[in-house]
Amino acid sequence: MGNLRRVWSRVKGQASQGREDEAFDEEIREHIALLEERCIEQGMSAREAARTARRQFGNVTALKERQRAQRGILSPGEWWRDVRFGMRMLAKRPLSSAAVVLALALGIGMNAAVFTFVNALLLRPPQGVNAANKLIEVWLHNPKSGGAQGYLPFSYPDFAYYRDHTRSLEGLMGFDGDGTNAIWNHKGTGEILHGQLVSGNLFPLLGVNALAGRTLTADDDNLGNPRQVTVLSYRFWKQKLGGDPGAVGKTLMLDGAAFTVVGVAPAGFTGLMVGMDPDFWVPLAVQDRFTHDQGRMKDRNAYWLTVAGKMRGTGDRKRVQAEIQVLAQQVYLANSSKADFLDGIVYPLTLVPGPFRGYVGAFTGGLLAVFALVLLIACTDAASLLLARATARAREMATRAALGAGRARLFRQMLVESLMLAAIAGAAGVAIAWATSRLLMQLKPANIPVTLAIPLDWRVVLFAAVISAATGVAFGLAPALRASAVEPARMLNEESQTAGWKKSRIRDVLLVAQMATCVVLLVGATLCVRSLMRANAIDPGFETSHIVVATLDPGSLGYPPRRMNDFYTRLAERVQHLPGVTSVSYASYLPLGTSSNRDTAGRQMPNGPNAIRVNGFRVAPGFFRTMGIPLLRGRDLTEEEADSATPDAVVINQTLARKLWPSEDPVGKSLALGSERTMSEVVGVVRDGKYRTLGEAPLAVVFRGELPPVRTLVVRTAGDSRTLLDEVQREVPAVDPLMAATQVQTIEDYMALPLFPARTMGWLLGVSGILAVMMTAIGLFGVIAYVVSQRTHEIGVRMALGARQSDVLKMVMGQGMRLTAIGLGIGLCAAFAASRLLAPLLYGIGASDPATMTAVAAGLAAIALTACYLPARRAMRVDPSVALRCE
Amino acid sequence: MEDNKSEVLQGTLDLMVLKTLFALGPLHGFGIARRIEQVSDGVLNLNEGTVYTALLRLRQQGWIVSKWGTSENNRRARYYSITRLGAKQLERETENWERVAGVIERVLKLQRQG
Repeated sequence: MGNLRRVWSRVKGQASQGREDEAFDEEIREHIALLEERCIEQGMSAREAARTARRQFGNVTALKERQRAQRGILSPGEWWRDVRFGMRMLAKRPLSSAAVVLALALGIGMNAAVFTFVNALLLRPPQGVNAANKLIEVWLHNPKSGGAQGYLPFSYPDFAYYRDHTRSLEGLMGFDGDGTNAIWNHKGTGEILHGQLVSGNLFPLLGVNALAGRTLTADDDNLGNPRQVTVLSYRFWKQKLGGDPGAVGKTLMLDGAAFTVVGVAPAGFTGLMVGMDPDFWVPLAVQDRFTHDQGRMKDRNAYWLTVAGKMRGTGDRKRVQAEIQVLAQQVYLANSSKADFLDGIVYPLTLVPGPFRGYVGAFTGGLLAVFALVLLIACTDAASLLLARATARAREMATRAALGAGRARLFRQMLVESLMLAAIAGAAGVAIAWATSRLLMQLKPANIPVTLAIPLDWRVVLFAAVISAATGVAFGLAPALRASAVEPARMLNEESQTAGWKKSRIRDVLLVAQMATCVVLLVGATLCVRSLMRANAIDPGFETSHIVVATLDPGSLGYPPRRMNDFYTRLAERVQHLPGVTSVSYASYLPLGTSSNRDTAGRQMPNGPNAIRVNGFRVAPGFFRTMGIPLLRGRDLTEEEADSATPDAVVINQTLARKLWPSEDPVGKSLALGSERTMSEVVGVVRDGKYRTLGEAPLAVVFRGELPPVRTLVVRTAGDSRTLLDEVQREVPAVDPLMAATQVQTIEDYMALPLFPARTMGWLLGVSGILAVMMTAIGLFGVIAYVVSQRTHEIGVRMALGARQSDVLKMVMGQGMRLTAIGLGIGLCAAFAASRLLAPLLYGIGASDPATMTAVAAGLAAIALTACYLPARRAMRVDPSVALRCE
Repeated sequence: MEDNKSEVLQGTLDLMVLKTLFALGPLHGFGIARRIEQVSDGVLNLNEGTVYTALLRLRQQGWIVSKWGTSENNRRARYYSITRLGAKQLERETENWERVAGVIERVLKLQRQG
């Protein structure tokens, strides 16, 4: 307690120092004056009085010194002197200063760039809402199932129960986390908009006020009397309606229903879900206008609502969690269903839903770990360069120590210089982070309809500042300790300047550590990049060129089934006649997309427990031909078979054929699908492909007919698929002016999505590897060059005594290469251990791939050789007469 | 230096300053020095500057606070006064002192034996 008070008093003293000093001086002056007066009153002469007063008071200077020492930590003036002096010292060696700053800036910058994403995804609360720290989200969790699959959003009836019975929350709101696509019909055309269904209390609870008109209210969201009203997003209002001030009150035709615009949301508000930037919001109660699912609001087994709440009062999340658990029990008991019990889990609200935060965190955390290694290399770089410099400045330090600078004073001076370097590097690092994070966003495939704001806000700047300061201390400590440990008498007496190689144990350790870290990083990066190259070369089982795909949903216009089929038939006919088109077909969705359907298959009805798990795709005739999937046996589905409501005929893939009929011809056999009541006939077998991810093991797949309203159009062309994009887009309104196609893209663009994770990973790791090699080379070069320059005199003597150039070369290179060899050895062992962690991420390559290890070691050795050779060559050319004379 | 004056015992000046402030209320440095001089009857050899070191120490401990005011002869002066914390400390220190002084007294009173 007393200590704390003393420290605080010192800090305060620091702050009000000037004033305090003056007051103290005045107090003393006054005291002495009073003493003098008294002496004069006693009859002394003025001179005598002054002397007596001073004697009685004691040593004024010593007193002031003591006061000064006690009061503040350090005067700012002294710090400023250190900074100015440091500035001069840094400017004196611009090249090595620049090298240090560059290395650190790249290290800090890459870390901050990754952190920008951590911030945007995990730390930053949703924007444009009030009291973000009181917001929570609730997910249902099935305790019996593990991983992210165990988490579910809410069904509407469950949501309503929680909403009506919670007491610890001010309110519970819900929205559809996936968003809703709708066709906006205006001026005789159709355009796809992204909307979000939200509960009526969402806007009021979040404290989001309309920019114009009003937001949605609970009255709009009345199940008995739903209002067809909508709030527009600021972006949509500005871009599509030109910021029309009269937009409020107008009518928007969305999926064939008239919606009245009641307001415009403020700029910056994009809802509560990561990546979503809706054009409009509508009440939950009108969901059937968009989903065409009349029963959904009463269906307890339709889990589609993401649920968030606002805590009451100071916001105690534990209390809310406790209450939610009770509500979960009540819901379970009230339903008395045979389904599993679903617990309610409360998370603080951020843009990434709670259950998935762990995965995002692990991914970004892994990246941060990789770049932390890069930063570590940068630090050792900086440390060894500064250490070399500190040794070179030993004389300066000795002189200063001889003139009375204390050890602490010298230590501080060196640390200030390091911190200055770190500060400059930190500022540059923030700039690098800004540029890099924007570059990374460019890697995102254009067809993912996801928006993410990645601002450089205070959290990112704070992060950069903290790691800059930490690196400044980390790399500045060794040089500062060395500089302050001078023995002035010895240093100044000794004429010799040989900063002996042997003296610098720390530097050797740093070089070895750096080399070892570099090996680990490079092995990791090389493994990932090689695995990525293999992934790029994976055959997905269909052709990845000359194909155009597009998604269509005439169901959103409320077509009856007959008109729907008619629409698709006419569209296929028109597209078929476009120039260059060789075939056209449909599928419910394509392999390697985000959708999937699982089923079981067996040889007998019903499917037993050892039935085979299969993935189902629904396709129209001609799909295999259009996608370039080879038909190995039998035939394609016919038009009638594809239209039939039951899967009379199916096509299976090789894997399923092999599993069910290992030694027979499957064509003509009967297949039992777990989801059907009648048997299906296998009419064909197609070659295996990749269906869910590129890295998967072979999956069993069934292709059947009976396509849903939402379909993907696939078009094969003999010419350039790019030129076909616009034409396909134009054919859709030609068949029905109110329709619009979404995601019209070439198959190459489509494939960007499955390749995205590997590509990003490969890109980042490639960058980290290149940086690591660069920094290691700089460090090695800098240190060897420095040692050579320090030993010029010695080398001159050796040569004067008869050493040949090759001897000198051998000596200098030998030193560098010995360290390199040790570093490589340690590094390879560490890499061998560390790469096991990578094993699950790698495709088609072993974690301890000997080729990779050898290549990395050889490459690094070659780089180290060059980094040592350049300074060694200079040493070799030392002219003995010059070297000896310069002393 | 006159031989019949005693040096101030280490650590006792703080106690004297505290007690003075406790007994007489707010005082400036000069006043404190005068008071100690008066009480000690000229026996103590006090370097008056050390009073200020004591004041600084006490202030940093939070046992006294200071405020600028005007002295009797209309000069600006810094007045020190004791805090509640300081009064408590004084109590502790006084007890401590009395205990030690008591021991010393008893030791000094010991008669030569045998």
